Amino acid sequence: MADATFQPTVMVVDDEEMVITSIRAFLRLETEYHIQGFTNPLEAAKYLESNPVDVVVTDYLMPKMNGIQLLAKAKEHQPEAARVLLTGHADKQSAIQAINDIGLYQYLEKPWDNAQLLLVIQGAIERTTLLRNLRDKISELDAAHSNLKEVQRRLIRAFL
Amino acid sequence: MSDDCLGPATAAATETEQLRMELAIAKRRLAEAYQMVSLGRLVAGIIHEINTPIGSILSNNQVILRSLEQLKTVLSAGEPPNAKAFEILETMASLAAVDKLACERISGVIRSLKTFARVDQSDVRKANVHELLTNTLKLTSCEFRRRIIVETDFGDIPEIECYPQLLSQVFLNLLVNAGQAIEGEGRITVRTRSDGEFIVVSISDTGRGIPQEDRQKIFAPGFSTKPVGVGTGLGLALSREIVVDNHGGEISFESEVGAGTTFHVRLPIKADRSKLTAAKPARS
Repeated sequence: MADATFQPTVMVVDDEEMVITSIRAFLRLETEYHIQGFTNPLEAAKYLESNPVDVVVTDYLMPKMNGIQLLAKAKEHQPEAARVLLTGHADKQSAIQAINDIGLYQYLEKPWDNAQLLLVIQGAIERTTLLRNLRDKISELDAAHSNLKEVQRRLIRAFL
Repeated sequence: MSDDCLGPATAAATETEQLRMELAIAKRRLAEAYQMVSLGRLVAGIIHEINTPIGSILSNNQVILRSLEQLKTVLSAGEPPNAKAFEILETMASLAAVDKLACERISGVIRSLKTFARVDQSDVRKANVHELLTNTLKLTSCEFRRRIIVETDFGDIPEIECYPQLLSQVFLNLLVNAGQAIEGEGRITVRTRSDGEFIVVSISDTGRGIPQEDRQKIFAPGFSTKPVGVGTGLGLALSREIVVDNHGGEISFESEVGAGTTFHVRLPIKADRSKLTAAKPARS
């Protein structure tokens, strides 16, 4: 990663506090990530409106808003943030159906495997970072292109 | 009456009795099969309910083992315990607390399932209806928890003489129906009260209600408005049989289309032995 002080933010959303506690303890042990946990998906959606996150890991079945709806919000506000569904729901059909709609990065089932979860989160952060870098480079290119055009315009004007 | 006439009459009576017994056996088997179907419907919710705590326990176990390794390293350094060591201990303590909660959740679900699986409950015994309802609600809440609020308003009722397993089956059936009647979010209320020599259990939902034209038919075997795979058309018929025939009680309902339905189950506190014996299972 370009910035040595970069601390990725992982959002974990599950209406079960115990899941957030377990994942937070695991990630704290293994990584330096900043963990942002929510038991209420509506609050998580609100947070996403104005706070950058790198990965969103969410449960599927939750009251008021399900995981797919939350990930759709994440896509809307932070398209680069990787979206991961961690579900214990036996009927996967609706979740699988939604995978294409929201561009899911990964689908994990409960009970989860910590090693796999870590691999997925690491991969997701790398992807998000690359996408953000790409976006920055494109912006830089756009800016350079505009500058060049301006210089070209001035040159033409100087010679005319 | 001459002896000539008595012979065939006695034979016919025996045959009738035999047929009656066979019918009782068949009904019992049907009820058991239906019970399995009802539980099967709840399986998805139960899996979710159990997978979440299991996921936590597995994860916590790994983290605790790794933390112990780290603690060992810290302690092996020979220096007095530092902040890192205390941080590790704190993490382990919080995970142990989560594990306890998770185990309680799993055993709660298993206990509720046992209510339905227990085969030693084939005899009439005194049972606490609130306990039966609570166990059944625990199972259905796996399914409802995220979209339906379940409220209980338990009155002061005595234990009743009944077939607890069969009654649990009735409550499960009424609760599953109530849940299916609610599209999206809603509320189910379970009330109990005493009424002289009876107790009354009322299960209300804020669902779509029962259309006028269906009200005469809902207790008829085979009648269902649900798609194949969701409804069997047996639930209410069997519930009525369990309440009325096996317990000498009554089952009734009131419904308003678009507002919801309430089922009332009225059960005698003291069993009518002559009727209750007919419900004994046919197992050898």
